[in-house]
Amino acid sequence: MKTNLIFAALIATVLFSGCNQSQDGSSGESSGEKLVIGATMLSMQNEFIVNVSDEMEAKAKELGVELITVDAERSALKQVEQVESFIAQGVDAIIMNPCEVEASSPAVKLAMNANIPIINVNSETSAKPTAFVGSDDTESARIAMRYLAKKLGGKGNILMMHGFMGQAAQLKRDNGAKEILKANPGLKLLAEQTGEWDRAKGMSLTENWIQSYGSQINAIFAHNDEMGMGAVKALEAAGIKNKVIVVSVDAIPDALQAVKKGTLDATVFQNAREQGSKAIETAVKAAKKEAFEKEALIPFQLVTKENVGEFLK
Amino acid sequence: MLSTQNFRFTKVGQYGIYLAFLILCVVLAFSTPRFFTVSNLLIIGTQVSINALLAFGVTFVIITGGIDLSLGSMVAVTGVVAATFAHPDTYPLAVPLLAGIGSGLLFGAFNGLVITKSKVPPFIVTLGTMTIGRGLALIISKGRPVSNLSDTFNFIGGGNVFGIPFPIIILIVAFIVCTVILNKTVLGRYMYAVGGNESAARASGIRVGNVKMWVYTICGILSAMGGILLTARITTGQPNAGAGFELDAIAAAIIGGTSTSGGTGTMTGTLIGALLIGVISNSLDLLNVTSYYQQVVMGVIIIGAVVLDGFGKKD
Amino acid sequence: MPDFILTVNQLSKSFSGIKALDNISFNLRRGEVHALMGENGAGKSTFMKILIGLLTPDSGEIVFEGKNLHDSNVGDTLKKGISMIHQEILIVPELTVAQNIFLGREKAFGVKRGWIPGLLDDSAINEKSAQILQQLGVDISPDIKMKHLSVAQMQMVEIAKAISNEAKVIIMDEPTSAISDKEVEMLFKMIRDLKSKGVSIIYISHKMDEIFRISDTITVLRDGKYIGTKSAEELDHNSLIAMMVGREIGQMFPEGNASIGEEVLSVENLGKKGKFANISFKVHAGEIVGLAGLMGAGRTEIARAIFGLDKMDEGMIRISGETVQIDSPLKALKNGIGYVSEDRKGLGFIPRMSVKNNVTLSSMKRHQKGIFINTKSEEADTAQMIADLRIKTSGMDQKVSTLSGGNQQKVVIGKVLLAAPQLIILDEPTRGVDVGAKFEIYKLIRNLAENGMAIIMISSELPEILGMSDRIVVLSKGRQTATLSRQEATQELIMRNAVV
Repeated sequence: MKTNLIFAALIATVLFSGCNQSQDGSSGESSGEKLVIGATMLSMQNEFIVNVSDEMEAKAKELGVELITVDAERSALKQVEQVESFIAQGVDAIIMNPCEVEASSPAVKLAMNANIPIINVNSETSAKPTAFVGSDDTESARIAMRYLAKKLGGKGNILMMHGFMGQAAQLKRDNGAKEILKANPGLKLLAEQTGEWDRAKGMSLTENWIQSYGSQINAIFAHNDEMGMGAVKALEAAGIKNKVIVVSVDAIPDALQAVKKGTLDATVFQNAREQGSKAIETAVKAAKKEAFEKEALIPFQLVTKENVGEFLK
Repeated sequence: MLSTQNFRFTKVGQYGIYLAFLILCVVLAFSTPRFFTVSNLLIIGTQVSINALLAFGVTFVIITGGIDLSLGSMVAVTGVVAATFAHPDTYPLAVPLLAGIGSGLLFGAFNGLVITKSKVPPFIVTLGTMTIGRGLALIISKGRPVSNLSDTFNFIGGGNVFGIPFPIIILIVAFIVCTVILNKTVLGRYMYAVGGNESAARASGIRVGNVKMWVYTICGILSAMGGILLTARITTGQPNAGAGFELDAIAAAIIGGTSTSGGTGTMTGTLIGALLIGVISNSLDLLNVTSYYQQVVMGVIIIGAVVLDGFGKKD
Repeated sequence: MPDFILTVNQLSKSFSGIKALDNISFNLRRGEVHALMGENGAGKSTFMKILIGLLTPDSGEIVFEGKNLHDSNVGDTLKKGISMIHQEILIVPELTVAQNIFLGREKAFGVKRGWIPGLLDDSAINEKSAQILQQLGVDISPDIKMKHLSVAQMQMVEIAKAISNEAKVIIMDEPTSAISDKEVEMLFKMIRDLKSKGVSIIYISHKMDEIFRISDTITVLRDGKYIGTKSAEELDHNSLIAMMVGREIGQMFPEGNASIGEEVLSVENLGKKGKFANISFKVHAGEIVGLAGLMGAGRTEIARAIFGLDKMDEGMIRISGETVQIDSPLKALKNGIGYVSEDRKGLGFIPRMSVKNNVTLSSMKRHQKGIFINTKSEEADTAQMIADLRIKTSGMDQKVSTLSGGNQQKVVIGKVLLAAPQLIILDEPTRGVDVGAKFEIYKLIRNLAENGMAIIMISSELPEILGMSDRIVVLSKGRQTATLSRQEATQELIMRNAVV
């Protein structure tokens, strides 16, 4: 069964790469030396990643380069195989949005050995790529927690909702949050638990926390907006949203709407557009052997009711 | 002497799951004062409702000797479909509900049709439709959550009627309807017959294919109800919602005494199974047990419940 | 004092307060075939389980070759030389014949003595197995996989396994239940050989003819009690049955006085490739038509085709003169055809469902109010059937899996009768049913005929066919070789036509 699935996936990959190559051929003839960039994305089911990918597409069009985007469907193995086929196709540069810190590293090494520049976007691998474009997740948590600390006047009880345990984003956001907690001894971490990045899970978890801690809760920090939105729903249902501050990270459209309405107190904007366009820019420069930034960190921005207008399109 | 002991042990096994559930509740009531409160019990009921609906559906399927792995994907498809029609000031409430339930019905009927016509085992067919469903949900939603839903729609997931959360009311109604179908209708009787001995059922003049069609269709409808409930609860239709839900639902049915070889099972057992799973995850959150341990505890309880159940059936 | 290899004294065993064995005594001579007889539930299998060490007795002693077999488990008794050939043959289909023969004893026989310890030596066990099989006069290659063998061959391998264990006592439980007559001859020849080599056989069977052909001594158990041991010459059919059921059965087959009515079923030129061809016969109301033939003659296949379980390739079926197309059991039932299968467990009942739910399964239409079940009418019908067929249950909610074979059969018959057929096909209606229940089933069949039911009865037991049928259709290798009236039919005539 499993082998069949893999087999089917292989056939599909071959077919798709076949299509893309034929595209290359026809467009290559008309516009001469057109650069080809291969991109493998963590998951096209994730709204943030889709935004990054959309922006890459737009930027590639603007710069007149061919972009082949594939979905790794959260599988590092698949991602490595995709990079392998990019190398085989002889692309000029590769952009990888890594699935995992360790397991996606072989892809970086493969590309480096083949002398094809590889740019990691949004998250890191343990192997060092040609360049990294993204934001420091630790910083996003620091921004969120600093906001909480300020709002609470440095004193209060906080609950923290983790992402999938062991993933890079969860670990870094955890570190950043713990840093700020240490610096503010008045803040107490009542409990922490995973909501697995999921809205329904975040909601159930918050419901259970309300049973446990009730009026002791002053604030909730969720590692992403999905869980943050779930927390808001649960707090609203319990009628205590006005007593609890909720902050999360990512600034997805839903969360921006909530910030505008005042149900979600703040979110941290991770600039998907900027990451996407910067990744393409860096890839093109690297392919043309021009100078480029080795590490392009796109700054986060805190989004509150006051400035939410800038982020809503 | 020996015989009376055997007798008692058998009895314990027969009611093992109910007993285990009772003991767990008593222990929890003593270990945390926050467990046995009206508000917490209502929250458990609400949290359990989606899994219970799916578990009811898969109980029918397992009783006929089948399995349905596409539950979670059906939740996603039906949720997204319902959400598409549930934006404020567009359609009356009936439209998203009928669209959601209708899509679940079609999905389930498709499962049933392929299984009865192709003779491919349900495990493989629904493994396929699980992937198909996930893809459909992404296609319909274009890969993005469908949000901005009307308040009337969201009421289904978050509203109260006389202080009772609406999902609990749906859960109770579904439980009663499913129990009646299983115990009081000819279809229910035929389900046990088909699962108990398919060849004998056919030789008794039962249209085995029809029974299976019904079972998978009902399972699709219940999944759709779960999908709508989830969508209304989190006020968004998410294409990646419900991943892994099928395993929780199957676990609830099995903990509740439904045999995977077919022919036995009750809705009451399944309800207790779903409640057991819900109570455990609720109480571990209340006790602030790390999620790492939660998963281990859950696994131990699933196996334990079935082992205990096995003692009652060994005879 | 004769040379007893096995002596059992005052053996008792209870389950949940019910005595399964009560003071059993049993003596087995060296080199004899000793038949153990009794109805189902007489305690034969409990007794055998104690002998091979699967159960421990509550009291009593077993002396084997002068030594007390106390607290032995299966491994011990095997080593000491008691082997059992089970009715359901216990083999591993994916292993070879030799591997099966030496299963569990690889260490002693099949391990290479080389520098890597523990490697299996297949050639050694192959050689040894070939030797034993040759000794037994069986032509089976030791290195083919078990799954390619026929049931009879598998049985031979089991016997070979017992021999390789140097068994002095071999217990055979219904060894002929699934093999052909020719293979039975081979088995008997092998048993005689073993006997001449001093091996003792305990032979369990329901088939009287076999018992009288092969056994030297017969011991009868009834309701867990020891009834008696006699030499085979002292007994005949009737006296043996009398010992088993505790009374003399004057007439096994009740007299029939049904009046034959109009034609119910007529089949013309039925054919199914590789199974049967050119089958034509008629059945009238009140008539019992027997289908006789050897195993594999196509009797069950014809019944399945008429009932719509299998598709046939050609031919016509008429019900009361009208041509009907039957492609499913549902269609057959709608056309008034009922079928009681020989494969009771496979096609007859749903073991986990109650007596009531089984009995009404084919007639739910009558117990339906909309989509709901009318429990009252269902219970009334069930109570009626339990009374009419004298089904022994603790209540209509008892699970069918816990009933005896005879009562399970009655439940299946009840189910078919409630569907109100005009014609009923009974395929081996008394297989696996004990003598007392057999007689009741015969009476029931007569009653049905008297009430105008058309009946087709398939049976492998010639006396049954002769005793019950008004007309007999004889089949051989899928062809209809004779149609005999009750008056002209004899055992010899049927056999002659069955082996054409």
